[in-house]
Amino acid sequence: MSLNENFFKYPEEIKPEFIETEDIVFRDGSRISAADIWHFMTEEAPVRYPYAYTNNRYYGRRLSGDVRLPSSIKHNYLMLTMNDRTSRARENGSPIIFVQGGQSVDPYYAAGGIALRPASTGAWARGKEEGLNLREEEMRSLDVREKARKAISFEICQTAGYEHIQEGNLPVDMVAPYLCLRCSDVGYGVEAHRHGKRKIGLFLVDFPLDHQKEKEWAAGYLARNLHRLTREIGKMSGKEVTENDLKEEIKLHNKGRKLALDTADVWWSASAPPTNGADRRAIFQMGGMELHGDPNASLTVLKEANKDIKERVKHSTKGEGVTDNARRLFVGGSCVFPNDFRTEEAGGIIVGNDNHWSDISTIVEETGDPYEKLARAILSYPYEQPIEGRAEWTIDQLKKSRSDGFLFLYNWGCNTQSAIARMLCDIIHEETGIPTLIIEHEMRGEQTEQLQNRVNAFIEMLN
Amino acid sequence: MTLETLEKINNAVKERPQELADARRKGRKVVGWFNYNIPEEIIHALGLIPVRLGTGGNDRLVEIGARYISTKNCVFTRELVGLFAENQDPYIKNSDIVAADATCLQTYRAAEVIKHYFKINIVILGVPRNFSLPEGQEYFEKELEFFTKKLEAVAGKKLDTNKLAGSIKLYNDIRKSIKELYKYQAISKSTIKWREVFDVVHAGFYLDREKYLSLLHELLGELREQHGEPVIGNLNGDARILVSGSIIPPGDTKLINIIEQVGGRIVSDELWSGLNPSMNIEIREASIKGIADGYINRVPHAALPYLDLETDGRLKNLKRIINDHKAQGVIFHTLRFCDPFTFKASETKDVLKKEGIPLLEIHTEYAGSDLEAIRTRAEAFVEMIKNKEIQEVEQ
Repeated sequence: MSLNENFFKYPEEIKPEFIETEDIVFRDGSRISAADIWHFMTEEAPVRYPYAYTNNRYYGRRLSGDVRLPSSIKHNYLMLTMNDRTSRARENGSPIIFVQGGQSVDPYYAAGGIALRPASTGAWARGKEEGLNLREEEMRSLDVREKARKAISFEICQTAGYEHIQEGNLPVDMVAPYLCLRCSDVGYGVEAHRHGKRKIGLFLVDFPLDHQKEKEWAAGYLARNLHRLTREIGKMSGKEVTENDLKEEIKLHNKGRKLALDTADVWWSASAPPTNGADRRAIFQMGGMELHGDPNASLTVLKEANKDIKERVKHSTKGEGVTDNARRLFVGGSCVFPNDFRTEEAGGIIVGNDNHWSDISTIVEETGDPYEKLARAILSYPYEQPIEGRAEWTIDQLKKSRSDGFLFLYNWGCNTQSAIARMLCDIIHEETGIPTLIIEHEMRGEQTEQLQNRVNAFIEMLN
Repeated sequence: MTLETLEKINNAVKERPQELADARRKGRKVVGWFNYNIPEEIIHALGLIPVRLGTGGNDRLVEIGARYISTKNCVFTRELVGLFAENQDPYIKNSDIVAADATCLQTYRAAEVIKHYFKINIVILGVPRNFSLPEGQEYFEKELEFFTKKLEAVAGKKLDTNKLAGSIKLYNDIRKSIKELYKYQAISKSTIKWREVFDVVHAGFYLDREKYLSLLHELLGELREQHGEPVIGNLNGDARILVSGSIIPPGDTKLINIIEQVGGRIVSDELWSGLNPSMNIEIREASIKGIADGYINRVPHAALPYLDLETDGRLKNLKRIINDHKAQGVIFHTLRFCDPFTFKASETKDVLKKEGIPLLEIHTEYAGSDLEAIRTRAEAFVEMIKNKEIQEVEQ
């Protein structure tokens, strides 16, 4: 079967219901109606981004088949318009800042910037070239990644958009991630830009290590880093950033975090998973407000998703593609994932993940010095704690999500997550008896049969 | 011409495990440490015995370590974990407490793994990534205060300023002597080779530090007698190589052997298991602040990112050592998955190219499977340097 024959299409019969759903409201106050979103997703995007509509079962990023979940379509709309929106915002004067994933982006937005993590820069870059099918898009992506590997090291786990920034494909204004234990390559990757062919603003937000949440001086140090960060971004955006700006931003982002926590509680409490794994992941992740490069837009969609999930749980509606009595997996580790759809085919479902959840599940105190409060919250992210502390939190999440198994994936070359894999899994298994599996993962859109075989065998064992 | 002191140092190292065991029986405590920024002055001033841990080159220990930490971690880290798992290394067996710092993130995580699986008491020193900024330096000072308090609890006493001043002086003298030794090995027709100096540096990981200094003075005295003041002048047709990059700990002789076998003369190193810890460290006052400032402002380890290429202290230090020891080429040793150095290899090559210094990256592990491939590359590199020198002489 050719790629074109296996092409995803939103069914026309859902249109009347969908176009009655809510608008997406953007940060600049503009909005788009559900009718316009429908037009984009059914007429425009299939022509501009054919790869996204590929129904190849090996394609882990393919569109969710749960077409009656409006937030799923809207999330995909925001992903597929990343290039249009980000390029336009930058032309209108918003500086684009490259950041670390799984971290709060409150200060970047408070200072008038747009914070994009590696996956978001990937989505932005994918949107730059139109008309590609999946194979062409994969080849393009591998090709540009090879440039970064050549420039930095072939042992880099993920190139963090280096190639796009250095090749000038993406007009990123500053590379300014938090440094932390989740990914040492991001830190070395920032430094690598100093030797690149393009000069770009570089900035490090240091993330002190080792029982950091218990140390006053660590919070003070990070707070000063955050002050410098907002000042530097403010210079680019032309904004003099006040404490109140950050306070307001924290309040906005707390709304997302709290809503995601509420949604997760409802989702996890359901007798049957109310969505498939891909939609669950997108919905939970919207609470981080960094997924779409527009926190307000993410919040709009998350609010709608929250209502839809509650409705589904009330009526015991199961997500599209989820089997009866699916084995529930919680995923830990690097910024990589198994293929949700194939996992569901095998009788499992991914019900949670630690990366992009640890920050969302940490609410920032809204009173007092916002820099200090934000620093304290950041330093208490469970994912970044000593391994025993992270294990304790993960066990709690496994219990809340009623997980049957724990899957730890780390990306090839990810030295920091790989280093803790064995110990984390051993503690979890000893404390809970829940089976664990460690898998090394290659970062690609199409995933390998070997990887999925192991996931499927694990699910079979859980049965 | 032989150097008697080298034999004395070898013997002292052989006797050291027994000495440590005896000292512990008498109530002294041993602090084993690893990573890069642990200030031994504080350990020493508290009356504790510092020992630097970690070996290399043993594939069996790497395999043992990989049961607890991943194969995506460098072999040094895996071997370190393997050493603790096996618990046969006399220095590990004799450590009452282990100290580690958060410079290299893999080794930092290894400390947690070691603590968990082998029930070792570990104390960690945090290290800032923004080490050149005032707030980073203040953070490091606070971390060092915290670290010192933990060691004070082990020692059962408070840090005494006078004793700290004595320890600072001792370590300054050791560092000065090591730098002097490096000059002697680099001179023409020297009676001491770089490899012997490298072993002397490693002896300093274990020996009683006062005794070590006295042996260093004795060795320098012998060298002074044989060569007078060291003057690095005539290149004497050697292919003068500097070794830089990932750690080459005691026991890892793979690359060094090859370079020497193919006719290269190693005249210096820019390694954290060699000359680097003695470079560019100035402790201005006998206090925690003085130590913190001294350590954080010295040559930065490659694991600490620095954003301005032009003012990077690591590269300045490398160029200085190349110049001081008249090295003609750099062999940049990178261990697989040692990201701090592998990520910088091509950049360092480009920087040195502008200075007319060729760089060869050797990316390897402890296994022997790549020996011949490395030999071929090292041989070609040495030959290229020799040919270049001949051409320059002819011109």
